[in-house]
Amino acid sequence: MDASEREQYQAAIHGDREAFEMIIRTHSRTLFAIAYGVLRNREEAEDAVQDSLVKAWKTRWRVRDPEKFPAWLATIARHRAHDIFRKRRTASLEEVIEPSLVTQTDDSDLDQKLHSALAGLPELHRAALTLRYFEEMDYRSIENTLGLTNGALRGILGRALATMRKQLRPALASMD
Amino acid sequence: MATVHNEIDNWLAADLHGDLSDAERSALHAHLLDCAACRKAHQETKTMNKILEETLAQEKADAAFEQRMLARFRNRVPERSGLLKLLAVPTRFRPLQIAAVAALLLGLVQVGRMITGENVARPRVPERYADLQVASPLPPPASQPIESGALSKSDQLVSGLSQDVALRKPPSPASPPGIRAEFAEERAATKMAPASPENLVRVDEVAAKPAETPASDVANRKLIRNATVQLEIGSFDDAVQKITAFANEERGYIATTSSEKQANGKLRGEVIVKVLPENLDRFLQKIHGLGELKNQTLGTDDVTKAYFDTDARLKNARVMEQRLIDMLKTKTGKVSDLLQVEKELGRVREEIERMQGQLKYWDSQVQFATVTISLTEKDMEEPAAFLLKERSQLALYAPDVEKIYNDIKALTSLKVQITNAQLNRDYSGRVSATMSVLIAPEESESVISRVKDFGRVENFQTQTERIAQGGSPAVAGENAKTKRDKVELSVTISREEQEQAFQQTSLRILTSSVDEKAKELRAVAEKQGGRVRNSTFNRDPDGHAFANVSLRVPMKNYPGLMKSLNTLGKVENVSVQRQDRTGTQIDEANAPADISIQIYSQGNIVSHEGGLFATLRRTLAQSAEAIMWSLRMIGVAVAFLAPWVVALIAIVWATKRVIRARRSKP
Repeated sequence: MDASEREQYQAAIHGDREAFEMIIRTHSRTLFAIAYGVLRNREEAEDAVQDSLVKAWKTRWRVRDPEKFPAWLATIARHRAHDIFRKRRTASLEEVIEPSLVTQTDDSDLDQKLHSALAGLPELHRAALTLRYFEEMDYRSIENTLGLTNGALRGILGRALATMRKQLRPALASMD
Repeated sequence: MATVHNEIDNWLAADLHGDLSDAERSALHAHLLDCAACRKAHQETKTMNKILEETLAQEKADAAFEQRMLARFRNRVPERSGLLKLLAVPTRFRPLQIAAVAALLLGLVQVGRMITGENVARPRVPERYADLQVASPLPPPASQPIESGALSKSDQLVSGLSQDVALRKPPSPASPPGIRAEFAEERAATKMAPASPENLVRVDEVAAKPAETPASDVANRKLIRNATVQLEIGSFDDAVQKITAFANEERGYIATTSSEKQANGKLRGEVIVKVLPENLDRFLQKIHGLGELKNQTLGTDDVTKAYFDTDARLKNARVMEQRLIDMLKTKTGKVSDLLQVEKELGRVREEIERMQGQLKYWDSQVQFATVTISLTEKDMEEPAAFLLKERSQLALYAPDVEKIYNDIKALTSLKVQITNAQLNRDYSGRVSATMSVLIAPEESESVISRVKDFGRVENFQTQTERIAQGGSPAVAGENAKTKRDKVELSVTISREEQEQAFQQTSLRILTSSVDEKAKELRAVAEKQGGRVRNSTFNRDPDGHAFANVSLRVPMKNYPGLMKSLNTLGKVENVSVQRQDRTGTQIDEANAPADISIQIYSQGNIVSHEGGLFATLRRTLAQSAEAIMWSLRMIGVAVAFLAPWVVALIAIVWATKRVIRARRSKP
């Protein structure tokens, strides 16, 4: 993390609104990727990002170390997305399942399999995958965002890819 | 290449995502050449990666996403208004935060002080000093006639420069040395700097002023000066003569003289002298030469204000008087009114006289300074005579107290007076008496020896005191006579039993038949002139018997009794205590000796508190006690700490509630 970035986080923590808006510009896409990884629904993911940004602004004073600011933002987003995910499941089970049934018929077989495989992944793996494939972030940025070491991230992405390809092996074979 | 093979998934992913270093990539490719399984996995992963890139890239956020987020954020969290923002900005800075906390704490401390009633804010010492000086810019100049000449001799100087001077003075002896040094330097600088014309003028002025106060200044000030001097002189009459001469020289006079002759022939007296105020200092200087100065005080009383107030009132009263007289002259109105006027006139005139008297008194006081000189001749303290006072104390022990009491009473004669006689009987029927006798000195020895014969004498003491008359006893008067006063004798008479034993012995006798031997012991004691004071016999359920006997015998029969005890049985554990009463005279042969004897049967007395079990029991009891004690201490500690813990928990709980409430708000 370079000095200017650090300074920006510091200013945001101390209540500098401009600095915080700048962080929204640079980080909301990442947060969206994380939320989408959990929810796999655009509107809900946007809401989650929005909520977590507001919450981050209100509780910014709780961050002691500016270095950890991005990871902290990501954690809030993940938790918020989870909350929404839980509410959705308890509120109206059928309502949500139905559109997915509709997409099943519309979308291709591979696409549907891909999504169900994604859904089966642990949440952290999904977050890493979405960061990588939505935003084409390099490993260093993903590590910063999720608060991971390089070894851990390699393990997570390697296992995620391996799980996916094993589940989709028949479909992949047909593609070749 | 075991690691590459084992972690092939990670390597493949990192390769596709471009996170491998060159060395790692070549190691991976080398392994892929060797391993067919990994090659297959590589192929599959590449396909997987491609599918993911294609699929997920479609789902990523659209281009306007950030703008939308920002707009919604601004919508949900509106910016603060100008004033709040202004307030919020400085709170970001750490020094400001610290300052705010410090200010808050100080405020709390001040509030605490106000509540507890402590002094809230003390003015700093130098300021206070300056205030004092400025507050009284016109101190009576004559009040400090001896003060080191330069400062404050004239009003101009005092009023013009007092502030300056006051501020330059060291604030107080307690001030830090740094400041003092600074002040000292400054002062030195003002003194040393002759360049400034103002300084020059001041120095000249000071030099020109005589020791006395200039008449021009006192002209309209009414100052009463007085002094008291204490002197020790060789001869009183000489001193009075010289004082009279000095007073004449200074155009004063002797107002009063008084003298008093002491018992030792020395004179003590007081002379009150009136001198002109401006000559007072010179007069005092002369007086100091008369003898040794013991004490001197100088005082000035400024009555200016009171004087002029009274003067003004006097003028008013005179006007009033004139008007009343005019009223009487015109003689109009009723008779009763005229009488009223007459009465009022009388009152006003009385007041006028009183005020005139007061003014005259002040004038006389101001005109002359009063010097009160106390004179004492040397060796004033030498005593005139000594009185020798003797006090004797005597304790008598006898079988019949009342008889002796009456015998002593019978001694009364012209030279023997009984001043106090008391016969006491306490609740247990014991009789004792106290008597005080005053005996003429020439008879004292014979009377005391007769009293001594009445009983056994214990503790005879005589104190002699030399009392100086008309002076201090510390001064040895060579010419003083010594006289013997009456001898005071106090006697206490008690019955013999009450006397404390001169010697105490305790012993044990081992025998087979306790009861029988106890009887025998009593018989032996009677034979030796002893008395049994106390005797007990015990037999416990185990059949152990022991008898305790206490005896009292005169000291002269003690060895005989001890010898005959040996015939009773085996004498053990003999311990003897003797109380040597220092400073008393004791009739040793007749002094009582106490013997307490325990007679016990063989093997009977075995301590229950011996052996392994008893020790074990004691140890356990002690440890139980120790545990109980520490429990009690823990209880006390808990009682001390509990309120704090409760308060702490309450604070933490409340804070958590607040935080949670904030968090749950959208």
